[in-house]
Amino acid sequence: MAKVTLHTPVSEEDVRKLEIGDVVYITGTIYTSRDMGHLRIRQALDEEETLPVDFKGSVIFHAGPVVKKHDDKWKLVVIGPTTSIRMEPYADMIANLGVRVIIGKGGMAERSSQTFQKYGMVYLQAAPGCAVKLAGGVEEVESVHWIELGIPEALWVLKVKEFGPLVVAMDSKGRSTYRDLKEQAEAKIAAMFPED
Amino acid sequence: MYWDEHRLYSEIYDLVVDVCTGVSPDCLVLMRQALERETNQTARSLLQAMLENVELAGKLRKPICQSPGFPTVYISFGDKFELPNIKDIWSRAITDATMDGFLRPSMVHPLTRKNSGDNSGIDVPNFEFDYVPGQDFIEMIISFKGCGAELGNRMKIMTTAMLGKNYAGFKRLVLETVKDAGGKPCPPFAVGIGVGGQMDVAAKLSRRAVSTRDWRDVNPDPMLQDLEEELLERINLLSIGPAGIGGDTTALAVKIGLSFTHTAILPVAINFHCWPARRGGFRIYPDGSKEVLFGRE
Repeated sequence: MAKVTLHTPVSEEDVRKLEIGDVVYITGTIYTSRDMGHLRIRQALDEEETLPVDFKGSVIFHAGPVVKKHDDKWKLVVIGPTTSIRMEPYADMIANLGVRVIIGKGGMAERSSQTFQKYGMVYLQAAPGCAVKLAGGVEEVESVHWIELGIPEALWVLKVKEFGPLVVAMDSKGRSTYRDLKEQAEAKIAAMFPED
Repeated sequence: MYWDEHRLYSEIYDLVVDVCTGVSPDCLVLMRQALERETNQTARSLLQAMLENVELAGKLRKPICQSPGFPTVYISFGDKFELPNIKDIWSRAITDATMDGFLRPSMVHPLTRKNSGDNSGIDVPNFEFDYVPGQDFIEMIISFKGCGAELGNRMKIMTTAMLGKNYAGFKRLVLETVKDAGGKPCPPFAVGIGVGGQMDVAAKLSRRAVSTRDWRDVNPDPMLQDLEEELLERINLLSIGPAGIGGDTTALAVKIGLSFTHTAILPVAINFHCWPARRGGFRIYPDGSKEVLFGRE
């Protein structure tokens, strides 16, 4: 298990080198996006509207921050991952935009795993419920888009340095820690109740 | 009256801020014990990060988690219930704590998805009132329960035929639900289980059990105590682990609430609580005194 720092924009080559269990830190720029944010991207694409940021080689963080406004500038209070499975329906859209890295919690499903393998992407698990600690890796709020969606759902552009630790839990070879653990748990449950 | 609106508001506001900048002491003790036992290295480092985060949040007085979850206030009262409009006081304390940067505005209309901007909204917070004849105090417990955890929840109306020998069907339903939830409810989680009543009763029992009971307590019903212990042990054998990426610690506690039901049905609600137990409360007495519940050192 290696310890790696990824710099944005992230290349396909860098992502393909990552293995399950590697510990990753991110330096550069990351975007937050969750339920309404993803829906808004889809709407922009459908209506051929220009997207507010360039997603090529980008890192999407499934998260909605706590922020405070000081003298017209947003300051981050804390930030941490939200449950990623809700964004599963957008796997292909995100891959087509050129996103390389997704940070979240709880993992994603088979459609995502297939696109990660096909396009060269990776899923990083952040420590859940560790919002103060994770915020330590955020240097500043660069900008915010689609704030009309509300603070949690807006697209926040964050400047980060050694943001993490994050653990590779779905890689670009089609492997998934979540799938493996679920299959193992299934076998254990079957063994616990053999008469069924 | 000792408990006027002004005093109650300031007690409740302080409680809300305390609750969202730390975890309940029972949760903290169980997390430390989990770290001592844990043998998986990645799991150990995740548990350590979680414990460090608790310490940092307390020291810097910042929210422990970016998401406030959804607030429910449990209020029990006796024959004398003379207070100002406490629903309004709780709502105000929550919106004020939001504007002061302790809670992210996260409440939306369920269909339009429009955010109210300050955690106000229809039935926010949710209140559960309980009348206890003869009780001379008023007890209030606030619980902010994370909502990613809700995505793993399950509700099933079982039947007699499904129950099985030694309640194997019931136990299996709980374990399957835990397996399917995986890392979504922020393990090491606590599991609240409601059995009985109809759908609504089972769901409320499950939330109350996991939200208002000390996670280290022993169920006074020996049968439920055995079930809680057995299910906790079996859940931890599944090796889902902290954050859902493997390890010995999947759950910190299992809490079961029970009501009688109709002979035709067995409603079961399985309700996950993320590891950061953001709950606290107090009892207030007619003489003006106060007793803190789930207080931190």
